[in-house]
Amino acid sequence: MTQTPAIRNMSQMIALTIAEAMEADERIVVIGEDVGRMGGVFGATRGLQRRFGESRVRDTPISEQTFIGAAVGMAQAGLRPIVELMFIDFLGTCLDQVANQMAKNHYMSGGRVRVPLVLRSAVGCIGDAAQHSQVLTGTLAHLPGLKIAFPSSPGDARGLLVSAIASDDPVVFLEHKQLLMATIEELRYSGDPQSDRLPFRANIVRPGTDVTVVASGWMVQLAGRAADMLATEGVECEVLDLRTIVPLDDEAIVASVSKTGRLLVVDEDYRSFGLSGEIVARVAEAATCRSVSVARHCMPDVPIPASKPLEDAVIPSADSIAAAVRRMIYP
Amino acid sequence: MTATLRLIDAYAQMALMRAFEEAVGAGSARGEIHGEMHLAIGQEAIAAGVAPLLDRDDAVISTHRPHLHALIAGVDAVALLGELWERADGICRGKGGHMHLFEPGRRFMCTGIVGASLPIALGYAFERSLRAPGTVALAVMGDGAANHGTFAESLNLAALWDLPVVFLCEGNGYAISVTRETAAAGDIHRRGEAYGIPGYHCDGTDPIAVFEAASPAFERARSGLGPALVVATAYRFRGHYEGDIDHYRSPAERDRAISQRDPLVNARRRLLEAGIADHELERLDSEAAQRVNGWVAQVQAMPWPSAEQATLGVFT
Repeated sequence: MTQTPAIRNMSQMIALTIAEAMEADERIVVIGEDVGRMGGVFGATRGLQRRFGESRVRDTPISEQTFIGAAVGMAQAGLRPIVELMFIDFLGTCLDQVANQMAKNHYMSGGRVRVPLVLRSAVGCIGDAAQHSQVLTGTLAHLPGLKIAFPSSPGDARGLLVSAIASDDPVVFLEHKQLLMATIEELRYSGDPQSDRLPFRANIVRPGTDVTVVASGWMVQLAGRAADMLATEGVECEVLDLRTIVPLDDEAIVASVSKTGRLLVVDEDYRSFGLSGEIVARVAEAATCRSVSVARHCMPDVPIPASKPLEDAVIPSADSIAAAVRRMIYP
Repeated sequence: MTATLRLIDAYAQMALMRAFEEAVGAGSARGEIHGEMHLAIGQEAIAAGVAPLLDRDDAVISTHRPHLHALIAGVDAVALLGELWERADGICRGKGGHMHLFEPGRRFMCTGIVGASLPIALGYAFERSLRAPGTVALAVMGDGAANHGTFAESLNLAALWDLPVVFLCEGNGYAISVTRETAAAGDIHRRGEAYGIPGYHCDGTDPIAVFEAASPAFERARSGLGPALVVATAYRFRGHYEGDIDHYRSPAERDRAISQRDPLVNARRRLLEAGIADHELERLDSEAAQRVNGWVAQVQAMPWPSAEQATLGVFT
């Protein structure tokens, strides 16, 4: 890696990673709302337009269905677009191009067409209520044909983004808003800033013996804090960071839960009909997990409320995660 | 090199297109094709009029009624029929079927979602403008798609970015059963005016009229001046899909349209008036039928894909 400025947060890490990729491959273009002149509403594409010009880094009108569909066409035509859907909550405005075109065209073409694009999107709760705070990993993962990377730290963001850009599959790259803005010093896990091309597999960020806590994105940071608290009580959590929702590393999950005997899924997405249930199902199907205990600690099935005490009541926290573990250890 | 179109050549191509669509319809009726089928019988003059204007390196992005656009894009007819017949040697190995055809070697694809062809065409146009200036993307749509959000968005974005797109609206007057008059306020070919996009309106049952209307549209896009919109009106002879009992159109209307607005019948009459011998046109008709029958026989002998292919190929 060449000389780089000090990276203070995940948004800077993403901008740097994209710049390096664009330098190396002129087929990469960046499009989306506010990605160019402003450098992204969270700064994750800062500096790119100045460096690579308006031809390769383009601000779009508020026309998600059309500019994301255009990214599909660009990718099929041989470019490697990085397109941004500003907030994953806006998925409804472009779902056809994402679910029916981006995800399916490779399969429907009998493998003859590839869609090598990265769809970046900001997720997670920072106080913006029901239409600007969702994670929607379950919704996205349910649709066949999309890979989904969900880094839990700036270092992992780098490695997963390098892999996402290199992949010839469409990869949804989820950027948690808390991670975009938090400084590296504030984080429990910062990941390896030198990481290059992380594989799309899970990662044990903290080995343990008493319970497997499966988490993704910001929840990994909170699970880590909860694990620290619980360690002082003599409970050792194994924190498993999914890193990617699709592919889902059920092998790693099953291996860990077979060892600890307890599974706690922590998920900022809605509880029902989604990722947490899928993980429990995979464990239930595993021969080596016949007598494990399982629990889920998720966002309940409600729109995310605005008022702080209401929001605190539904979003998992380090304290609530620790409490969920204790309910499993001391029933 | 300036493109030209002779009516006799358009007739030959339309005869082949008619034979092709009728053979596919017959295959569908025999149960050899098991999904919903949308044929372009009656609309042949539009594709035939545009065909001479396409360059080999242009992109063609079509709809749920795609066969004629696939043919003018240069997709191999046997491999195309193979895909329609759901065989392993079809262009998509039996995975896509009639509404999801892909031939990357000709930059051709289609989609079963109304309006979805337009943004994707913009993407191809973007790539073409960067790497092959002078080539275009043909974005095919029906009059129903003119009311979809993607139409307005695509006109706007194509105009803003000066994309080399020709929007081709095949206006057969119906979105399944809903008439254009019920669904579209104002004139579709004028909808680009708000974005500075010229609109060309023509009789889509006359291939020469289509050619003459579309020529400046293609020239504008190729020269880097940006997108253009062509609206060619025709009549959909069959129902929306094969098997559609089409009770929402009166038999009188349909019979009148079929007798008065058949591009082949009208071209034939003009050619006879111009001195072409009737047996010459008969020869073109029978050649078309023979070629298509030969293709279909080849395709009927093709193997089916194996069951394990169903769960493979989601990712690269």
